[in-house]
Amino acid sequence: MNDLSVEFRGVSKHYPHFNLDNIDLELPTGSIMGFIGANGAGKSTTIRILMGLVHQDKGTVNVLGHPMPADQTEAKLDIGFVSEDMRLYGAATLKWHMEFVSSIYPRWDQAYAEKLVRRFDLKPQQKIKGLSHGQRVKAALLLALARRPRLLVLDEPTTGLDPVARKEVLGELMAVLADEDRTILFSSHNTQDVEQISDQITFIDHGRIIDSDDKECFLDHWRRLRLVMPQNTELPHLPGVIDVGGSGRLPVLTTNCFDPAMLSVCQDLGATIQAVDNMTLEEIFVTSVQHRRETLAV
Amino acid sequence: MHSDLIISQTDGRPMYLQIMEQIKLKVSVGDWATGQEIPSIRQLAMALRVSVITVKRAYLELEREGVIVTQHGKGSLVAPDASLAPRLHEDQLAEHLERAARLGELLGLTPEELASRLEQASGRSMEQLPKENQ
Amino acid sequence: MNYSMVTRLIAKDWYLQRWMILASLAGGAASLGIVCTGGKAAFMLGLILLVMVLIFVGAQLPVAMMVHERKEQTLSFVMSLPISHREYTTAKILGTLLIFLIPWLVLVLGSLALFAVPNGVALGLLPYTVIMAIEILVGVCLTIAVALVTESQGWAVAAVMVGNVGFNIVGYYVAHLPGIAQGMWGSSLMWSPTASTVVLTEFAVIVLLICFTFFFQSRKRDFL
Repeated sequence: MNDLSVEFRGVSKHYPHFNLDNIDLELPTGSIMGFIGANGAGKSTTIRILMGLVHQDKGTVNVLGHPMPADQTEAKLDIGFVSEDMRLYGAATLKWHMEFVSSIYPRWDQAYAEKLVRRFDLKPQQKIKGLSHGQRVKAALLLALARRPRLLVLDEPTTGLDPVARKEVLGELMAVLADEDRTILFSSHNTQDVEQISDQITFIDHGRIIDSDDKECFLDHWRRLRLVMPQNTELPHLPGVIDVGGSGRLPVLTTNCFDPAMLSVCQDLGATIQAVDNMTLEEIFVTSVQHRRETLAV
Repeated sequence: MHSDLIISQTDGRPMYLQIMEQIKLKVSVGDWATGQEIPSIRQLAMALRVSVITVKRAYLELEREGVIVTQHGKGSLVAPDASLAPRLHEDQLAEHLERAARLGELLGLTPEELASRLEQASGRSMEQLPKENQ
Repeated sequence: MNYSMVTRLIAKDWYLQRWMILASLAGGAASLGIVCTGGKAAFMLGLILLVMVLIFVGAQLPVAMMVHERKEQTLSFVMSLPISHREYTTAKILGTLLIFLIPWLVLVLGSLALFAVPNGVALGLLPYTVIMAIEILVGVCLTIAVALVTESQGWAVAAVMVGNVGFNIVGYYVAHLPGIAQGMWGSSLMWSPTASTVVLTEFAVIVLLICFTFFFQSRKRDFL
């Protein structure tokens, strides 16, 4: 068995107003990857290519060992997919959907499905068109979770959910990972959720992967240094500093390859280190994107 | 699912440090006895709704500090070390003192002024302790 | 080709379209019932009702079955199931055609019955009736093909209109073909080679439409 659940190599896709450019992605089995990007960055396109719903123009895609889109039928037996723009059949009930899906997937766990119905506070007899947005999302997630897929692919699974529902969903996603052979890829705007539960994190912007690493590395390498400069001293360009904010004698340096040696370099210049702040994933993402857009605009 | 440990979202420190601190606290007050088995990395990750990689890192650091011991394939347990509890308190004290020293510097206090502040705080805390512990 | 999956997809669509299926059954039965009460007026009424059912189903069903998957955004749910594009296409074509065959068969069998009845319609009209009945089928196949490939309501409606216009044109043209026109108003059956050619052509067109559908579907690189 492949130890990579998902592998993209040099994947490109051309649209009139948007290009997905040379995407490389590696998702190890048993881990969970958070996929962060602005609207229109290419998250959904990448995910659709993963599912074989869109054919790439260039590059290879392997999902659970199956090349996509060639082997999509076999691959999809083991994949649970929920996307934000996906809808269930409004005229049918949740119960009908559950029966429909369970008749297709051998690994459907009815006991677990019923537990999820209670946990997500859903009514199986209700027609889908009568459900609120949050309930519809939970219903779609239930249908994907209850068949115990080896790979869960979720495009914005918590968007539009109330805080209680979000917590329930995150809890269920983590429960999936109790099995080491199961993997999750999810894209989200909610950087806090991604920061909390992801093992791997990938940033995408304007059709390109701008960074991909394991979460602890991201959080380890990024720092904000608040300095107090001595009088009449210019702050020279320091290696590894990608942004300088603040003003006057109080510059704020942002670095993406933090090393304690940097602190001594600053102190050698006569500066006092007022603080060394960790950065949240959101701050890291926004800074990465802004930095990239600035360097491209030059 | 309720968990033994609670992680705060508003705490500014990295999550793995929070986890480490909570585990060390559990050990130092005796909730988790020496030699006792503790949740596996995946179990704890699930209970806390925190990524496996973060819990793994916390456990690795804790093992390096000698707080826990991981047996390959058999899970982790609290290190069978009698001097563990007081040592953890020592670590905590050192951390807090360092932080106080830095803050004193920022405020421009001399070491003597800082020491007298510490005495005041110690006196206040003595008053608050229940009689048996004095 | 996973036949059990195709069957499940068809069953799913039939469940979702159950009201239309019931309506076409009821409409077909009602028109037969009306005709059986006897008399010219009843015959006209029954025929009109049946034609209305045929037109309604022929226009609404392909849209409901195929365009709505995209409009209601259920396409990603269906395509996330373990099926290939070919199985999806097969299920849609078969599912739609089989439902349409309900009122269509009522028409065909009803017509044949009318010929068989003692004081019924003159047998000379039989070849023409058969040709035009199959022509209806050709029109629906066109609508199905366009609806499936374009997934657009606009194009599907255009296909329905083309089908209607085509029906009238073919009706006029065939009625004036030498091999057909000769025996049309007689009382005995005259099945000419022309009639066979026309019928074969119609079936060939149906097969061609289905092949084109599969071809265009397989060329699609973006299923969403």
